[in-house]
Amino acid sequence: MSANDKPGILHVYDGIEEMDNHLPNWWLFLLWSTVLFGFGYWFYYQVSGVGPGSMAVYKAEAAEAARNAASNQPVSDETLLALMLDSQSVEQGKAQFTQQCAACHGQKGEGLIGPNLTDKFWLHGGTPMAIHKTVSEGVVAKGMPAWERTLGAERVRSIAAYVLTLKNTNVPGKAPQGELAE
Amino acid sequence: MAQPRASGPGTGHLSSIRPDGSRLGIHPSDVHGRFITWRRIVFAVLIAIYAVTPFIRMGGHPAIHLDVAARRFYLFGSTFNAQDFWIVLFLLTTTGFSLLFATAWLGRVWCGWACPQTVFLEGVYRRIERWIDGPRERRLKLAAGPWTPERVLRAVTKHGAFLAVSWLLAHVALAFFVSVKGLGTMVLDGPGGHAVPFAWAMAVTGALYFNFAWFREQLCVVLCPYGRLQSAMQDRDSLLIGYDIARGEPRGRLVKAKLALAEAPRQGDCVDCRKCVTACPTGIDIRNGLQMDCIACAQCVDACDEVMDKVGRPRGLIRYDSLNGLEGQPRRVVRPRLLLYGGFLLVSALALTVSLVGRTPFEANLLRFQGLPYFLEGTTVRNQFELHLVNKNPVESTFTVRVDSPVPANVVVPQQQVTLGSLESFRLPLFVTVERGPRVPFVFKVEVTDQVSGQVRRLEARFLGPPGASR
Repeated sequence: MSANDKPGILHVYDGIEEMDNHLPNWWLFLLWSTVLFGFGYWFYYQVSGVGPGSMAVYKAEAAEAARNAASNQPVSDETLLALMLDSQSVEQGKAQFTQQCAACHGQKGEGLIGPNLTDKFWLHGGTPMAIHKTVSEGVVAKGMPAWERTLGAERVRSIAAYVLTLKNTNVPGKAPQGELAE
Repeated sequence: MAQPRASGPGTGHLSSIRPDGSRLGIHPSDVHGRFITWRRIVFAVLIAIYAVTPFIRMGGHPAIHLDVAARRFYLFGSTFNAQDFWIVLFLLTTTGFSLLFATAWLGRVWCGWACPQTVFLEGVYRRIERWIDGPRERRLKLAAGPWTPERVLRAVTKHGAFLAVSWLLAHVALAFFVSVKGLGTMVLDGPGGHAVPFAWAMAVTGALYFNFAWFREQLCVVLCPYGRLQSAMQDRDSLLIGYDIARGEPRGRLVKAKLALAEAPRQGDCVDCRKCVTACPTGIDIRNGLQMDCIACAQCVDACDEVMDKVGRPRGLIRYDSLNGLEGQPRRVVRPRLLLYGGFLLVSALALTVSLVGRTPFEANLLRFQGLPYFLEGTTVRNQFELHLVNKNPVESTFTVRVDSPVPANVVVPQQQVTLGSLESFRLPLFVTVERGPRVPFVFKVEVTDQVSGQVRRLEARFLGPPGASR
């Protein structure tokens, strides 16, 4: 069969006839809308300079990350005490404590295999920074793992803040160990 | 074959699009018959299943609750978490191969009877349109006429009803993802506090409205990939809806009985009433042969059967049959293609069953604690482990941990019993201390018992230490 047998047929191969019909108008509408959108997008981001380019967005995000890192860097007794008053951080710390610490230190910090955290006695120091160091670096010889590697700096800080809130809650549990720290 | 063709193969254009590219409004006529009746029953059952499922609870949770945000999936009393995602592979292959199998065997039975597009369009939206705008002739006249106050009123009523139904269907869809209870809370709280689910509900409402009020058959003939794949799966023995050319042609108006006697030898059964064309929801003429636009809805079958009954001819001029059957060739069901697809389906379904049955109701993994592999203290050596427990039961369960060591050991487990809610996880430390000696290293066992299912998991771990005799 040749292409000329029927009107409007451009090409025939293996019984498949090709014609040149009008596309559905809704389909053309979609096509021209996307083309128009593409031009608008290109103009907004690449030409006009109004929209931020990829590089500008990247730089803004990098600066934001750097700011966060800088503000996070120094951990001190003061920042930990401030966190202790921040209910959101303490809530986060409590959630982590229940997940990771409660198995050894008890649900309320009353101590099981690990020492009681609710009394006035501390084995490795009871200051905010000492508690933070014990959590982040661990006391490997005694079975307390170093948590900073697994949990990251932020969660370790929130755990330290939560443990500070436990201090002197005196939940009956394991007998006091270590040195008295007021 | 020399026959007049208005659309379909050989005519070269889509039946629902005019030559200038504009949309041809399709207004199918009312048809009555056995397939229409059965289809209405099937539609009602499917819609009922869709609407009722979110309310059914199994094992303390909704029968289907796909909590994507929390990555918890409750399916018919079982609980799945993100770790179970690999099962989706077999779910997809099983669904895919059943579609292949059904298509090769029964053609587009899915399209005509079970696809949500057909179920909601023919079972809900078109019915509403019929109630408000009347039968085909009235709808055509209305569409062609001017915008009289009556037409405006009808249009507002109809589109209002379409929007209301879309809104309802969208909320049912949302209920599968946030549960009926969650949906109720969100609706009572108002959209302010739940911007994302609210946006989803509105977007789905808009998409459903656009699709069912306007786009309709274009989805089947232009967009649907399954519709396009059909021809690759079907053969000359697949079931389809077709016109018996040998019986019907030459078509022509019914002539009076006396005249018919003389003309009978060359008059076919088709009386060219075009009832099959006006009944078609995609606007094709089935008499032009198998077409890509045909969704096998069987409306033309019922329309033609009604006419055949009236003119006293046997039913089935248009019928469910295969291409071979329509040409009077022997029909075959069992054939290599069907066996191959069926084999794939069977293997897939088997894999799915095995993975579902073999799924454990909890996860228990014994991990060595990070840091040094062992600690030496005087004459003893200590190893630290961590038992990671995940409760995959739909309810709270208690896990009992027991350690079995071949060497006299001092085992410290802070909690021998851990109670976890559904899909909660816990890391339980485990300290094992033994005297240094020639029996180190050795293998010891940890046994975890799930209270709810009663299943026991035995884990093995290697106790490490410096080799050699005691010092």
